[in-house]
Amino acid sequence: MISAALAWTFERTGVDKIWEALFARHIPEAKGPVAWLYALGSATLFVFTVQAVTGTLLAMNYVPSPDHAYDSVRFIGSEVYFGRFIRGLHHWGASFMVVLVALHMMRVYFMASYKYPREATWLAGVGLFLLVIGFSFTGYLLPWDQKAYWATMVGANIAGQTPFVGSYVSKILIGGAEMGAATLSRFYALHVLVLPALTGGALVLHLFLVVWHGISEPPKRVEKGS
Amino acid sequence: MAWAIAGISAAIGAVLGGSGLGYFISPAFAKREEEWVDLGSVKEFKANVPLKIDFTSRKRDAWATVEKRASAWVLTPNGRDFIAFDPKCTHLGCPYRWDDSQKKFLCPCHTAVFDVDGRVVSGPPPRPLDRFSTKVVGGRLMVRPSSGGEAAA
Ligand code: FES
Repeated sequence: MISAALAWTFERTGVDKIWEALFARHIPEAKGPVAWLYALGSATLFVFTVQAVTGTLLAMNYVPSPDHAYDSVRFIGSEVYFGRFIRGLHHWGASFMVVLVALHMMRVYFMASYKYPREATWLAGVGLFLLVIGFSFTGYLLPWDQKAYWATMVGANIAGQTPFVGSYVSKILIGGAEMGAATLSRFYALHVLVLPALTGGALVLHLFLVVWHGISEPPKRVEKGS
Repeated sequence: MAWAIAGISAAIGAVLGGSGLGYFISPAFAKREEEWVDLGSVKEFKANVPLKIDFTSRKRDAWATVEKRASAWVLTPNGRDFIAFDPKCTHLGCPYRWDDSQKKFLCPCHTAVFDVDGRVVSGPPPRPLDRFSTKVVGGRLMVRPSSGGEAAA
C-alpha cells in the first residue's frame, strides 16, 4: 500500500532521483577533526533556516517605526510565549552566521577547494558572505535602542567617507539627510524583503554548484616536494 | 550511530519547533485586561443627583497604549452603591442629558425619556440605558467602560 503510493509518486515526480542526486552522492573520505570541517557549510545552512523561521515569527510582533519598535521588541520579550527564547535564537543565530560563514570560507580557502572547477561556487559563496554582513548590519538597527542607533550612525559615517560620492552614499543608506523613521523602515525592508530574496537566489546557485561539482577531496600529503 | 543522530535531531527539532509553535499560537492564550478607571472620591457624589464625569481611559493594545476620551453618568442612591450609565442613548447613540426639574434623562434626538434608574419612560429606545461596571476601592469610585454596552442586571 505505502510502497505502491511511493512508487506512484516517484514515477510522476522523480523525487527519488532528486533525493539520490542530493544525498546519496559521493563525499570525500575524511577522518577525525578534518571531517568536522566539512560540516561547516551544512551548519551555516541550518542556522540560516533557524534565522528565517525565527525572523518570520519576530516580524509578526515587530513594528519598524520609532514610536513602536522598542516597545514591540519589549512586548515580544515580556508577553509573547517563548518570545525571549525566539528572539534569543535570532540574536545569537546572527552571530553564529557570521562565525560559521567565516570558518566555512577559511576551510574552503585553506583546502584550496575554490580552485578549478569550483570558482563559481566560491563566487556565489562570497556573495552569500556579503549578504550575511548585510543582514547583520540592517538587523542590528531594528531593536531601536541606543546601541542600535549609534552603531548604525557609525556605519553611516563610514559610508560617508567614500571618496567624492560619500555624502550621497550615506544619504541613500539611511534614507535621508539624518537618521530617523525612514532609516528604520528602510533597514527593515532590506532586512526582511531585499536580502532574503537575494540570499535565496545565491543560495540555490551555491547549493546547485556544490551538488553539480561534488565535494572536493581534502588535500593529500605528498612525499616528494611539489 | 544513526539512532543517536536521529535522536539528537529529534530533540533539536522538538525544542525549536515546539517553541516556534508556542510563539505562533501564543495569542490564543491572551486574556482581556480589565481597565478600571478612577473617577475620583466617592464623597464627591451627592445622593440621587446624576453627575456627568469625563475621563480618559487607557487601553493596552499589544505594545501600544491607546488613550480614549470617554464619559459616564454617575448616580448613587446612598453614597455607597454606584451606577454608571454609558452616556450614549440606547436608541441611536446620541448623548442625553439630565433634567433636574423633571428628574429624568432626556435625549434630544428623538425625544426619549429615561427615568433615574435608566428605564425607558417614553420614546423609541429599545432597552434601558447601558451600564458600566463599578466598584469602590479605598474610597475611590472605579468604572470599567465597555464599548460593547453590556446591560448590567
Ligand atoms: S438617539 Fe436618543 S432617542 Fe434616538
